[in-house]
Amino acid sequence: MRRQLAALLFAAALLTPAACGTTNQPSAPPPAGQPDKVNVGVIAILDVAPIYLGKQKGFFASRNIDLTLTTAQGGAVIVPGVQGGQFQFGFSNVISLLLAQSQNLPLKIVCNGNNSTGVDGQDFGSLMVKGDSPITSAKELEGKKVAINTLRNIAETVVRASVKKAGGDASKVQFVEMPFPNMAAALQSGQVDAAFPVEPFQTAIRDAGGKSIASSWVDAAPNLTVAAYFTSTQTMETRKDLVDRFTAAMKESLAYADSHPDEARQIITTYTQITAAQVAKLTLPKWPAEINRDSLQKLAELAMADGLLKAQPDLNALLPSA
Amino acid sequence: MSQPVRAGRVGQVPALLGAAGLVAVAVALELAPRLGLVPAEFMPPTSTILAELARQLQRPEFWVALRDTLVTWGIGLGIAVAAGTVAGVVIGTVPGLRAATSSTIEFLRPIPSVALIPLAVLLYGARIQSTLMLVIYASFWQMLVQVLHGVVDVDPVARDTARSYRLGLFARIRYLVWPTALPYVVTGVRLAATVALILTITGELIIGTPGLGKEIAVASESNAVPPMYALVLVTGLLGVTANLAFRAAERRVLAWHPAIRVEAAAAL
Repeated sequence: MRRQLAALLFAAALLTPAACGTTNQPSAPPPAGQPDKVNVGVIAILDVAPIYLGKQKGFFASRNIDLTLTTAQGGAVIVPGVQGGQFQFGFSNVISLLLAQSQNLPLKIVCNGNNSTGVDGQDFGSLMVKGDSPITSAKELEGKKVAINTLRNIAETVVRASVKKAGGDASKVQFVEMPFPNMAAALQSGQVDAAFPVEPFQTAIRDAGGKSIASSWVDAAPNLTVAAYFTSTQTMETRKDLVDRFTAAMKESLAYADSHPDEARQIITTYTQITAAQVAKLTLPKWPAEINRDSLQKLAELAMADGLLKAQPDLNALLPSA
Repeated sequence: MSQPVRAGRVGQVPALLGAAGLVAVAVALELAPRLGLVPAEFMPPTSTILAELARQLQRPEFWVALRDTLVTWGIGLGIAVAAGTVAGVVIGTVPGLRAATSSTIEFLRPIPSVALIPLAVLLYGARIQSTLMLVIYASFWQMLVQVLHGVVDVDPVARDTARSYRLGLFARIRYLVWPTALPYVVTGVRLAATVALILTITGELIIGTPGLGKEIAVASESNAVPPMYALVLVTGLLGVTANLAFRAAERRVLAWHPAIRVEAAAAL
């Protein structure tokens, strides 16, 4: 503890010059006539194609928003970024947001992010085994090792849902945390028996002979809302007009991306390193403009049954009022 | 003035051997996937990586990332070198200060910089300052320890002479401590530069601050294996270039120093 404190003090002393000039204040209204400068923390994955497309189409500029998209390495960076004011809005999966809310972090969802396709066997993520695996159903994963990208988060909740739905005991599944890019090799070498990849890794594993045994997003809830855009309650209260304009632009972007999948695929090649040839083969998520509230309720119940959430989350406090 | 020329000619043999070693590794990495020793989808052959590198060089995003990495590295290294040198000279010359700080330094120095990542993210988010904090913390110690060693290395006879001539504190630092410590300082800068580059890429890769490390992470998350290796290759080239540049600078700055003069003489 003393060591940490000393390190902290030392690092702080070293960084005082660097720290000056960075203000962690939520955005103040811009001078009259100037657009609002908005920085959104996103992850460089398929799911956020609508916001890139909306920016390109001018849906934000037409609402007087000067949009900057900053890719970050997941919620562990985006959530503090939104709280600290580096980002006015952020993108996160909904279990992370439910967990944050249960810890009383002052966050508020402003808009839908992306959803499962709702089609069994044709979703943007699935529970997979290697080609010659004897496992054919999620029930057979009892006692087996399953790779997921983050333990005690959304992937674990939905994979457990698949096991339960197939009639198995989800508590007997052994989960292993593993980044998506490592899953194909781990399946191939037998290091794990199954994995839950999302695109583009689902297609890569399928191309290498892997098989999907369950569509876990679908098994968790119909048309599950997987991720959402959120802000801090402070921004929500002090910049209500900005939040309203952002939400309106975001809804237009979602609707546009959902009805123009070819443009969505094209824009994905600009902010990821996925090539046009690869992106054509991927299964895209669905981008409805409205949050599927029932699916969040169902997901919260699953997470509570698994012991991930300790108490019933207050969805009314987290979700925008209808 | 024929010395450098001769030294250069003699130096060509190790340089050729070094290049041959690199070519051998490149050929081995080309053959391993082609012969099926390693799966090509996870470890593409060298030629694929080089072709991808040529493609990356045409992307504007690549150059922006390279610039961001160089800026982070440069600022971090600059602050660490300046702070480490000043702290080292002060701690080394002020009586009693060394004894008072040595246990603290030995305490703080082994803390791996990457252990500060959660703290950096909380303080600065995905901004460049997060990575700078890691870079400065790691490379500061390299500098400080070298300078401390250098400062105590002062020749006792020279020290006594300086005392006899009643040189003041500033004059002693300028004419006695600094020339003695300079070889250590230069070595410290070279070591700190390597450490700073490692931590720059680590910070970008893990925190996601802008730069080549982040591009590597994006390529990895896109299942774009050849671009990932191409970018890794660039970071390796950066490290080699930096080391060569600092070694060249070392020879130039310390041309007067016996250690370098002996090397030059031996090369004859």
